[in-house]
Amino acid sequence: MEIIIDGKKVEAQYGETILEAAKRNDVYIPTLCHSEALPGLATCRLCMVEIVENGVTKRVASCSYPIQSEIEVVTDNEKLRRIRKTLLKLYYTMAPNSEMIRKLMEQQDVREFNRCKVDTENKCTLCGLCVKACETMGTNAIYTVFRGAAKKVGTPFDEPSEPCIGCGACASVCPTNAIEYLEENGTRAIWGKTFKMVQCKACGKYFATEEEIAYLYQKLGDDIDIKKCETCRKKANANRFIAAIKAEGF
Amino acid sequence: MAKILMVQPSKCASCRNCELACSFAHEGVFNPNKSRVHALVWERLGLGVPLMCMHCDDAPCVEVCMTGALHRDEEANGVLWDKDKCIGCKLCISACPFGNASYDSETKSVIKCDLCGGDPECVKFCPNEAIEYKEADKGMLTKKAMYAEKFKKIFEEVE
Repeated sequence: MEIIIDGKKVEAQYGETILEAAKRNDVYIPTLCHSEALPGLATCRLCMVEIVENGVTKRVASCSYPIQSEIEVVTDNEKLRRIRKTLLKLYYTMAPNSEMIRKLMEQQDVREFNRCKVDTENKCTLCGLCVKACETMGTNAIYTVFRGAAKKVGTPFDEPSEPCIGCGACASVCPTNAIEYLEENGTRAIWGKTFKMVQCKACGKYFATEEEIAYLYQKLGDDIDIKKCETCRKKANANRFIAAIKAEGF
Repeated sequence: MAKILMVQPSKCASCRNCELACSFAHEGVFNPNKSRVHALVWERLGLGVPLMCMHCDDAPCVEVCMTGALHRDEEANGVLWDKDKCIGCKLCISACPFGNASYDSETKSVIKCDLCGGDPECVKFCPNEAIEYKEADKGMLTKKAMYAEKFKKIFEEVE
């Protein structure tokens, strides 16, 4: 079907989101919590666009609004800019030191906002991407806990979470780099849990946590062999080639 | 017929052109660390083994990927990685039995052969045709299967 984005006719498929259609047609819509890997969160609301559907004008989150009829979309106008500015001001009070927030503020022309209490320690905007990533991994180690102003992301009872495997997917997807993890002396620490890391049998490099290896064995079965780091696995593979060449003269 | 990457260690001159061509094509820098292909060299034997993703039919990295970022692409006849769908758990790197994937924490990317969209740079810059990208016809696949069978026997002896 055909929809109109910012006055331009573009092709769209039934059921895809406005953001997907816009992206494909090189129309920029600012986002914070959007990840193609983990769609449908729609918590940040920065991707708000204005649509006219069946004669009704409304503002919707483009990342989760499915296209079901030939709608008209406006991605940028005075009202939308105001919404985005207000949101960014509030995000600034939550995470003033986050690079991503700073970048978006600059882009949307928002100045520093000091009317509310600004939390300089915090970097999390509670978008929930980390929770969704953990859920996708099937580990379910972190959740949003408490409600209202006390809401935060954490492990149950703030204790080291048993199902956590220390993969760091949560930290990797975080748009504001709010999740920290530390790797030193053969340990990796994240969410208050310290993981012992497995040493490569050949070179001694610490390459994965014990829990990650257990997760892999559980997923892939026992016939795979993960005792070496990726570099040494590659070397071992090349060694086999050489052995084969020597034996057979390929 | 789909094309496949073929490596012939006896033809490799260990020049490592492939590494430079690969990292330049993908990252815009001449940095072997960021290359998808690595030539492992045995200087005394005069042998080199260019290694990259084997694009396994039954790939452990695909199996372990929860978001489908790593997927088998029938058109490319290979295993491809979709950056937008990756959540950075890095389990694919540990899962690969051949160690042919690595992670670049700078760009938050999995470094893994993507066949350059059907026109591999390493092949273009290999002066000795040690890496070839060829149509996989029936004769070649039979030959490959025969080699694989021989290889398997030798591997078992080695280990």
